[in-house]
Amino acid sequence: MRIGTAKQSYAHDESLFDTRTQWGWLATLGITLLAFPFVANDYWLYLACLVAINIASATGLNILTGYTGLVSLGQAAFMGLGAYTVAIFEQRFGTPAVLNLLAGGGVAMLVGVVVGIPSLRVKGLYLAISTIAASFILHFVFANWTSLTGGTGGMTVPPANFFGIPLDTSFRLYWLVVPVALTMLVCAANLFRTRIGRAFIAIRDRDISAEVLGIPLLRYKLTSFALSSFYAGVAGGLWAYFFRVVTPESFPLMMSIFFLAAVIVGGMGTILGGILGAIFMTMVPEVLKLIVGWLPLGSEGAVILSPVRTIVFGLLIVGFLIFEPLGLQELWRRVRRFFHLWPFRAQG
Amino acid sequence: MDWLYLLEISLAGIGSGGLYALTGLSFVMIYKATKVVNLAIGEMLMLGAYLMFGMASNLGWPVWMAIVAAIIGSGLGGAIVERLAIRPMLGESPISVFMVTVGLSSVMIGLVELIWTADQQRLPEFMPSDPVMLGEAFIPPKLFYGFLVAAALILIALAVFRFWRGGVALRATASDQAAAYSVGINVPRVFSLAWIAAAMIAAIAGIVVGSIGGLSSSMGVFGLSVLVVVIVGGLDSVLGALVAGLGIGLLEALAGGYLGGEYKLLATFSTLILVLMVRPYGLFGTHEIERL
Amino acid sequence: MKQKSIVKWLGSLAAAASLFAAPVAQAEEDIVIGGSIPMTGVFAFAGIGIHAGITDYVKMINDTGGIKGRKIKYVPEDTAYKVDASVAAFKKITGQNKVNLYYGDSTAFAKTINPELERMGSIIMAGASFATEINDPKKYPNQFLVGPDYTEMIGILMRHIAKEKPGAKVAFVYSDTEFGRDPIDEGEALAKRLGLNVTGKIMTPPGSVDVSTEIVKLRRAAPDYTIFHGYILAPIPEFISQARKMGMTSQFMGTFWSMDNSMVMKMGEAAEGFMGVMPFRYYYESDAKAPMLEKIRKMRPEYQSNAYMQGFLTAMLFTEAAKRTLDAGKTLDGKNLKASLNTIKNFDTGGVVGVPITIRGNSIPVGRIYRFDSKQQKMLPASDWIHLD
Repeated sequence: MRIGTAKQSYAHDESLFDTRTQWGWLATLGITLLAFPFVANDYWLYLACLVAINIASATGLNILTGYTGLVSLGQAAFMGLGAYTVAIFEQRFGTPAVLNLLAGGGVAMLVGVVVGIPSLRVKGLYLAISTIAASFILHFVFANWTSLTGGTGGMTVPPANFFGIPLDTSFRLYWLVVPVALTMLVCAANLFRTRIGRAFIAIRDRDISAEVLGIPLLRYKLTSFALSSFYAGVAGGLWAYFFRVVTPESFPLMMSIFFLAAVIVGGMGTILGGILGAIFMTMVPEVLKLIVGWLPLGSEGAVILSPVRTIVFGLLIVGFLIFEPLGLQELWRRVRRFFHLWPFRAQG
Repeated sequence: MDWLYLLEISLAGIGSGGLYALTGLSFVMIYKATKVVNLAIGEMLMLGAYLMFGMASNLGWPVWMAIVAAIIGSGLGGAIVERLAIRPMLGESPISVFMVTVGLSSVMIGLVELIWTADQQRLPEFMPSDPVMLGEAFIPPKLFYGFLVAAALILIALAVFRFWRGGVALRATASDQAAAYSVGINVPRVFSLAWIAAAMIAAIAGIVVGSIGGLSSSMGVFGLSVLVVVIVGGLDSVLGALVAGLGIGLLEALAGGYLGGEYKLLATFSTLILVLMVRPYGLFGTHEIERL
Repeated sequence: MKQKSIVKWLGSLAAAASLFAAPVAQAEEDIVIGGSIPMTGVFAFAGIGIHAGITDYVKMINDTGGIKGRKIKYVPEDTAYKVDASVAAFKKITGQNKVNLYYGDSTAFAKTINPELERMGSIIMAGASFATEINDPKKYPNQFLVGPDYTEMIGILMRHIAKEKPGAKVAFVYSDTEFGRDPIDEGEALAKRLGLNVTGKIMTPPGSVDVSTEIVKLRRAAPDYTIFHGYILAPIPEFISQARKMGMTSQFMGTFWSMDNSMVMKMGEAAEGFMGVMPFRYYYESDAKAPMLEKIRKMRPEYQSNAYMQGFLTAMLFTEAAKRTLDAGKTLDGKNLKASLNTIKNFDTGGVVGVPITIRGNSIPVGRIYRFDSKQQKMLPASDWIHLD
């Protein structure tokens, strides 16, 4: 906590951003986000949109894994559900983008609840494995329900339409993706100021005690699962508008692991963690490419890039779990605390 | 009804089920001793197979020497993994340890691609390749000998569990860690031992699997089916792994034989969901284990 | 419409204010070939060859003064065969260069980037994909395939089979992927038209290790010819060796990506007699009149893969299209380049393809059957060049 911020009301104490400085930084961030598309080139806009989509999905997984303590390896498959729903709606009915995205989230949510049902009987790791099973089953459906999904060839998605403007470039899409992602972030942050969110945390910390306290485990675990899948579905819908092609192979198990890694590296159970993790994990391959490009390895360098990336990816997961289980978010907090307490020294 | 077809398909299924059972054994060994759900099991297989490939094809060693070296090398690898990545996680939540193994699998894939590239490779042929006939029915030779290897190894492992001091220590640790400590069992050493033994078994399974299906950096997918096997069998039950291994092998073969290749994984994972709903602790698993 | 113009205005403002990596000022004359190239990952064996092929041809052209005095610049970026990385590479390369020609690394990428290509209108693209879907000038006006599409490859194989053994029994073994399923339905229809008998369609799960049940099925189908599609290596060798052990007499055939000589050599004993369709000559073919192959052999004394040939030919067709466009005094854009490409008739590739080629739609439907000879450890021609109409 920042020094010199005396709180005078409970409302103030509970508020998401409680100091002027924070609001100041927030305003700066907002202006940056607004100005970014006008100064960045296509490549950076592309990355920005990708990061925003990944943040949305990682935040969804964070609700489930970070806050409720249930591990899912099916996030990519739920994104696939959202993406296919959006593709089908856009192709067949041409309904507005926002509606399609909501539908994508809704379908993913419904399926998520069904997949989540085993979580009532089994805990923790079993659930992770049942979500692996769900992702394989969903993959089968995507690949073989040819009349609806176009089979292994997949579907092409027309650009999202916003009052007659086709959102067909990264620049235009930015104005859909980033606001949606931001809205989802704000909703997630607020969720944990409500009874539902706090119930999730109670379940994570000790589910039996939570039940004793009068939190119906069944209902809240399923709610968490539903919310997480909804986030994945909407993110998947954005993904569909972004890449404009949806195939069964677009959402491999590796992608689910990617999101889990993002949540771990960023910091489980904090909104900031999901954001930092998604940015970090999306940018690592690009940064590695730059680094390997700088190293005087010649053409040899290119050949080792992909394995090195895979190794770094794994080491990040292992390393953070062993050495910094609270993730990047904790590192960030330490840096911040240093400045807040300056000129005094932070202890511990 | 073509009975011969059914028989051939079933035999092929049981044959590959033997490999599931063997890998399942390796998984259960780690789980029993250290309570780690090891998602990297498929990659441990892969590493063993590639080690053998490296010795036999890159260094030109004779096949038997390459196999022995690969097994020893994998054991060493198991010890290193346990010491560096699993030991520090002692006492952490099982979910964190599980995710460490997810990271490990990525590291292993990267290592293999770094050393041997991501290209597909083939192990030198070392198994007898004359067809094995059971009456009219044809059994794929590699599957047949692979099954024999698996069966022999499983018997040896069971004997070791039963009679060798280390095996007894392992079982003791599995049933009660604190009690094992108090009777003087060096529990950390048992942990190492379990990982070494499991890695060695996985290497053998990997060499058999690799000689059948070739090597690639994505052969770890095999581990996912094994995960299903051990969950269906019960995470901490050796018998469960054996029965479920054969059962899943048979099921996959029948689904593939009568419905088509795309139904194989569907059948496997539908079974998994079904078992999780009806009998979450598996066929032979201990009931308490769901209370993590 | 007002909003549209506002957006356009904002867009131009964006371009003007470009801070990040503003397009590097470059000599106006350079003609740029961009490339999302899978130098690493599962497709690296092809990507490395493709990269070498394009590099070599570009060097050859530049050494002789480029096209009408304009140099060719080749800008590749590694993708690890991942679609999002390919798109990122595309955005990066097109953001920093004025690109007219592009090499894409996968079917998924070709489909993903297609709307962007149409919108930009300045690029034609070819790539490592031979997907049948892309062979449609209406849907993919700015792309083409360097070689026959997968259905045409199967067509060439079937024509050979129908000639060699009319009424033969044929089985397809293919992987459960987009790549694997691509030509199967049309292949079956074609088999019927040619009077061949399809006795088996066997799909293997992707990445499956053990294919014993599929082999049992193949034995029941008792084909004279087995066509593998959707694989690079595994599980073809296992299929062949087990099938032979069972006493099957089928011929085994493959399509482009399983036909590279070094790949077939990895099959070991199973390679003997393995056949397949190949639209390009092999590196070592020296009996035919092929000046280009001699040049390649001089530049690179060691064996180069078929992927190299494909990359090489792609660069050749790219530059030919650019040359014809400039010769006609037109600007280099997607439409003109594609139109010039389609004027290519009876074009001599210097022996990379054994017959003069003509590009009518989006593909070059020509190929030849090769068979592996285990004594020489080489794929050798087993038929004349087959031209589909």
